Amino acid sequence: MCEPKLHIVDDDEAIRDALGWLFQSRNVPVASWPSAEAFLADYDPAMAGCLLLDIRMEGMSGLELFDRLSAMGCRMPVLFLTGHGDVPIAVSALKKGARDFVEKPFNDNDLVDRVIEALAFDAGERARQAGQAGVAARLATLTQRERQVMGLVVAGKLNKVIADELGISMRTVEVHRAHVFEKMGVKTAVELARILATVG
Amino acid sequence: MTGGAASAAHGLGQRGPVQAMPIVAMALVVLLFGVFLWVLHRSEREEETLTLIKDVLWVEQNLHFQLTSDEEKLQYLAESLGREDTTPVNYSVMARHIVTVNPAIQRVVRLDPQGRPVRSEPPVDDGPALDDAFGPSPRADAFLIARSSGRRAYSAPYRLGAADTAFEIVIPIFRGDQFAGALAGVLSIDALLTHHVPWWFAQRYQLEVIDPYGAVLGTKSRIAMPEPRRSHVVPFDPPGHGLTLVATLHQLSGNLGRNILIAAIFALTVSALWSLWAVRRHIARRIRAEEALRAEHAFRKAMEDSLTVGMRARDLDGRIIYVNPAFCRMVGWSAEELVGAGPIMPYWLPEDLVHTEEVFRAVLAGNAPANGFELRFRRANGERFDALIYEAPLIDAKGRHTGWMGSVLDITERKRAEELARQQQERLQQTARLITMGEMASTLAHELNQPLSAIASYCTGCLNRLQAGSIRPDELATALEKLSGQAKRAGQIIRRIHDFVRKSEPNVAPCCLSEVLEDCVALMEADARQQGVKLVLEMGRGLPAVMADRILLQQVVVNLMRNGIEAMASTRRDRRRLSVAVQAMDGSVLTRIQDRGCGISPENAEKLFSPFFTTKTEGMGMGLNICRSIIEHHQGRLWFEPAADGGTVFLFSLPVLSAPSLSGAAMSQDESPQDV
Repeated sequence: MCEPKLHIVDDDEAIRDALGWLFQSRNVPVASWPSAEAFLADYDPAMAGCLLLDIRMEGMSGLELFDRLSAMGCRMPVLFLTGHGDVPIAVSALKKGARDFVEKPFNDNDLVDRVIEALAFDAGERARQAGQAGVAARLATLTQRERQVMGLVVAGKLNKVIADELGISMRTVEVHRAHVFEKMGVKTAVELARILATVG
Repeated sequence: MTGGAASAAHGLGQRGPVQAMPIVAMALVVLLFGVFLWVLHRSEREEETLTLIKDVLWVEQNLHFQLTSDEEKLQYLAESLGREDTTPVNYSVMARHIVTVNPAIQRVVRLDPQGRPVRSEPPVDDGPALDDAFGPSPRADAFLIARSSGRRAYSAPYRLGAADTAFEIVIPIFRGDQFAGALAGVLSIDALLTHHVPWWFAQRYQLEVIDPYGAVLGTKSRIAMPEPRRSHVVPFDPPGHGLTLVATLHQLSGNLGRNILIAAIFALTVSALWSLWAVRRHIARRIRAEEALRAEHAFRKAMEDSLTVGMRARDLDGRIIYVNPAFCRMVGWSAEELVGAGPIMPYWLPEDLVHTEEVFRAVLAGNAPANGFELRFRRANGERFDALIYEAPLIDAKGRHTGWMGSVLDITERKRAEELARQQQERLQQTARLITMGEMASTLAHELNQPLSAIASYCTGCLNRLQAGSIRPDELATALEKLSGQAKRAGQIIRRIHDFVRKSEPNVAPCCLSEVLEDCVALMEADARQQGVKLVLEMGRGLPAVMADRILLQQVVVNLMRNGIEAMASTRRDRRRLSVAVQAMDGSVLTRIQDRGCGISPENAEKLFSPFFTTKTEGMGMGLNICRSIIEHHQGRLWFEPAADGGTVFLFSLPVLSAPSLSGAAMSQDESPQDV
């Protein structure tokens, strides 16, 4: 379930089937739902991949579904399938943060390329988010004194200066510094500064 | 109108003196008449007084004469008594004779020298007459005077009997020189007056004998005097003793005529005054009526001037006899210029004289429509305007029909507003049609997109697998089956649309093209007039019928006519002319719609019939295309040619009465041809 895939929501069964046939021909995993309501019922925040939404559907429209998902904090990239008359709607959806829109009838392999791009983007995002989560966990293991020492180290100060400022011996500073480097999994002060920059 | 008011005001100013004149004249006449009467009366009085004096003097004279005559007779008797030969018998005879002959002498008394009565003739008991209760006998005084003077003497008057008064003449008798008594003649004043004053005198005057104390001693009168009158007094001498004769004037019977005359004159004066008063009252009434009329006139004029409706009255020949200011404002000509104008009126449209004159004749014949009719007029500055006219017969005070009163409303604005509303409605309908068409097209596109997208996806999926070499034949077969299923689905959508359109196939029936054209010309007349375009309809005789949908044909013709009218927007107004002609050609009917517009440029000519091509800013580019489709579905042909005088002529021919097959006609009546 949590394996990244393309989630298609379209009320036309033929389209779902045809798109499934198309994406499978390029080895893109696909799951499809006949309506926005059905998708919402199955939605899990752990879902990964991207969404391909038909704008005009029976019941809830693709656009509405997009709004709902955004509100729920879903970060999956969303592509819209539009007919001729829906282009202005799709453009406004883009401005709200949708990834792309594809006009029907579409150039099929181009569509597949765009979907693969979106899947890669999603994977990258997820990896980045996972990295950030690691740094935060490591920071949590530092003691109060180690944090103080780390702040001064990142500021580029020498051990002697740090010992003076904190009123401790230089030897103690070195021990704390070694602990910080070990806990944060870095070898140099520059590396430490880069990791800290990713979490702000 | 202003002249009348001025003269009325002039008359008003003179009203005082004019009204006073007869009164002054009347007063003068009455005054002069009064003065005249007074003068007349005075002179009459003077005359009367003179006559009175004359008459009284005459009467006094007469009485004097009588008395003198009586005296002489008594004197003679007395003389005869003085003679010795006179016997008592003789005396008696003579005395009786005297008494009998002279009615004034009541009796004759013989007195002795001592004054005692000796003998009285006629004999009577003389006692009370002489020895009266009034003091000493007046005869005694007279006797003494007579005896001493030897001449006759008159006694003072004394009462004789109950009503009579008498006096006596005492004549002394001498025998020789010897006084031998006296003779007294008793004269009654009444008898004297009765016998010696003539009747005519009595008729005019009352004659009285009055003693010095004012007592009436005798009177001769027929009428009692009701009031003091003019009188004249003369002394009655003899007998003297302060007696006076008073003559008082009676009311003369001759005065009656004069009085009647005066009364008549007064009556006439009064009647003249009354009639004057009546005239005055009448004049006052007239003036009041005039003022009321003037006020009414002013009110009506104000009302008329304030009207925004033009009023125009015409006589039975149609000449204008009255126009109100609103009408003058409306047409821009002054009332002076309009009044008297006959047909042709200056405000008629020169280019529409025939129609206007027709309407004008209908009005004069009394056939004006009761709820008004519309005409176009022009103003003095050449501007045109639409007028709504109501005509009503003009009836004068005697109930005679003298002409026609028309009220004219300028309805240009209203018409413009109506036209604007109509155009807006049309645009709205057009927009609605566009929206409907857009929606249809959008739905159609969406519907078709679904199967087409699916087909494309299946195809690409298959191709991808084929390229990868990873496809099994059964997989391929399944995919291809699905693909053909989607292709069929697309086909069905197309078929459904076709079926939908086919439901509204043209309603074909034999129809006469000339009727269709007449309808179209009538329909476009208002538009054409609005644009100043003259519509000309030329129809050949004995036109054969064609098989067609009348409404569709009407739409074609109306569309072509509208195009023609719009093409002439920049043509000179007097040249704008759209002719619609129809004629039979061998086996077909040819309709020509010719304008004098700008024509069609060669580059436009090529694209004119292609869909979505338009030269109008608001056009859809469907009109001509649809027109051609309609004509072609009727197995006819639509084309155009440049016209000889610069414009364009659109032509279409339709075959004569053969049943045209209209299968595949994609014409819906909703998609009416409107635009090029």
